[in-house]
Amino acid sequence: MLHKKQCVAMLLAGGQGSRLGVLTKNMAKPAVPFGGKYRIIDFPLSNCANSAIDTVGVLTQYRPLELNAYIGSGAPWDLDLNNGGVCVLPPYQTGASGEWYSGTANAIYQNMPFIQQYDPDYVLVLSGDHIYKMDYAAMLRYHIEKGADTTIAVRQVPWEEASRFGIMNTDEEDRILEFEEKPKQPKSNNASMGVYVFTWKVLKEYLTRDEADPNSHKDFGKNVIPAMLGDGLKMYAFSFNDYWKDVGTIESLWEANMDLLTTPLPIDLHDKKWRVFARNVGAGPQYVSETAEIDNSLISEGCEVCGKVHHSILSTGVVVEEGAEVVDSVIMPGSRICAGAKVYRAIVAENVVISENAVVGAADGDIAVVGNNTVVPQGDTVNPGEQRAAE
Amino acid sequence: MNDMMGLIYTTAVDSLGELTTQRGTAAVPVCARYRVIDFMLSSLVSSGARNVGIIMQKNYHSLMEHLGSGKEWDLHGKNQGLAILPPFLTRDNVGVYGGFMDAVKSNLTYLRQCRERYVLVTETGMVYSARYDDMLKQHVKTGADVTLMYTDDPGVVRSGNSGRYLDVDVSGRVKDIEVEPSLAHYRNTFMECFLIRRELLIDLVDRALARAQHHFVRDVLIGALRDGSLKVYGWHNPGKVWKLDSVQAYFNCSMDLLKPDVRKELFNTERPVWGKQRDDMPTRYSPNAVVKNSLLADGCVIEGTVENSILFRGVRVQKGAVVRNAIVLQDGYIMSNTHLECCILDKGVIVREGTKLIAPATYPTVIGKNMII
Repeated sequence: MLHKKQCVAMLLAGGQGSRLGVLTKNMAKPAVPFGGKYRIIDFPLSNCANSAIDTVGVLTQYRPLELNAYIGSGAPWDLDLNNGGVCVLPPYQTGASGEWYSGTANAIYQNMPFIQQYDPDYVLVLSGDHIYKMDYAAMLRYHIEKGADTTIAVRQVPWEEASRFGIMNTDEEDRILEFEEKPKQPKSNNASMGVYVFTWKVLKEYLTRDEADPNSHKDFGKNVIPAMLGDGLKMYAFSFNDYWKDVGTIESLWEANMDLLTTPLPIDLHDKKWRVFARNVGAGPQYVSETAEIDNSLISEGCEVCGKVHHSILSTGVVVEEGAEVVDSVIMPGSRICAGAKVYRAIVAENVVISENAVVGAADGDIAVVGNNTVVPQGDTVNPGEQRAAE
Repeated sequence: MNDMMGLIYTTAVDSLGELTTQRGTAAVPVCARYRVIDFMLSSLVSSGARNVGIIMQKNYHSLMEHLGSGKEWDLHGKNQGLAILPPFLTRDNVGVYGGFMDAVKSNLTYLRQCRERYVLVTETGMVYSARYDDMLKQHVKTGADVTLMYTDDPGVVRSGNSGRYLDVDVSGRVKDIEVEPSLAHYRNTFMECFLIRRELLIDLVDRALARAQHHFVRDVLIGALRDGSLKVYGWHNPGKVWKLDSVQAYFNCSMDLLKPDVRKELFNTERPVWGKQRDDMPTRYSPNAVVKNSLLADGCVIEGTVENSILFRGVRVQKGAVVRNAIVLQDGYIMSNTHLECCILDKGVIVREGTKLIAPATYPTVIGKNMII
């Protein structure tokens, strides 16, 4: 028998992340490396750990191998517990049926027995595609103080971007009056962050009802939230205005990485009281040679830099040979930039080799992308905006 | 999977000046992000050992904190894993260990309940990485009772007269052992690491102590060589070895890591060195940073100049600071317009604006933990 938990977190990590193109060809979006030593999922998992939410279900579906291996027992986030901890929840078969997760709401619906084991009062629903540091415990306290049925984290986005988001229209008490998914004419600029706190009893009822509706898309934003609003439930917006970045597209992933090169850091990853945890890969220290020139960059352990690195991020174990040049780029773990190669405005995924004198991207133009395990041959060119993948 | 456990005897001697006033050699930070014992633990784990006992001495707080449950080395098992063996006081025990034999005697119960056939015993006065599995293969093949690890790395032989030297014949058999001669006659330095059958170790220790013999090498091994009662073999460690018996040796060991072949050998990706993790962000180089021929851990922020240096985690070097031929341990803070040369800064040292600290390369200066200068 498991002990009761006040709050259980459910992290939606099953999406393909198709807008990340070749980067998610063989892994789910939350497993994509970020910021030199992290993966995207480190951010919500570390937020849970730092918010004292110690029971987390991670819903996986698309290409789960990397993600499962990465999460493992949950030890890097102190989530390897006897009672609670992290649990990877893939879709499963049951006696009569068994099916893939058909939507965000359906994914949680199928795992209601997992949640029920802990008999929680509240459920926190998270997504695995944002870079941010957030105290979920503060949001939970707010939910309890307001006596809410549902609390949705919102942030103010620039008005011109508001039509890309789910927009909350609230009264002066922050009670949500209206929810519009990607409105053409937004009435407010309070965008949903895809972070929800539900009172479990209420959520259970609505998930069951939504499941029974054959016309539903089984989606929180499209179906469950509007249904709750329509019934006049107590729904509140919780404002969060610190750093938060969606990394669902090549451009935004590149930008979010580049944000780590501005001073002061928009998201403080040095904070010893709020560590962002990541799995230890046992890399040695980084070595910077006599011939290296590095400025305005973020470099991880296990790197060996002998060439020029300007305004870039090198992840664990990256090698930049003498005479190579990396500018305005993100190089993911284990890749090698050979002598004479040039990489500009690019994302180079894991274990890639950019051979001698190859050129990836250009000083301006769209981001060039090289997918995992690709070898770009000697003297070859990957154009700006091109996505190169291994055969 | 093999049938070998590890027994690490953490050295009690404090030979590294200020660096060992508050910690034993095993817990001394080395190589930008490790402690000495990480090399033994990682070599053991990558050689297939799943069970490691660590004999603690004085000043073991820092080491205990470092080891935790042994998780970083995958040594947090249930039956096996890490066993921490500090001195303790009972009717038969005197508390502080008089030496290796005393320590083994105090922990006979532990050793008896282990299940492995062989024990790899190592001290922590040297930095090395070793394939103990190869050593075990040789041990089994030769049918040795004891196999002693040795090095002929010239750097080690030169380092003073505290060593023990082996005469090894072509078949690998140890003919003679010299203990602390003022002039060594043999060029093979015993690395204070040996392999033995667990039950034989228990038996030898028990018998020797009963005869008032307290030194394993001097009394037991040399005696056995003389009367031929034990088959003693040597195993040559082909790798680079550093003996940490002086501040200068510590400094040289660190500076050697700036050589590519040394790094390649020590940080072999197939046999990684595991250390405690601190979850620092990667190191940030500002637009003004100038870094040449240096080794850096995560979490540093570099705005100044760093040359031929080793920076541990979380070191900050501000604008206009010059750090040259220096070793800066965890969380050092080098403020602007300072100049450091040939210094070793222990953890948490703050060097205030305008300070100049230049020591000769032949006599590096150590600045103690948390000092502000």
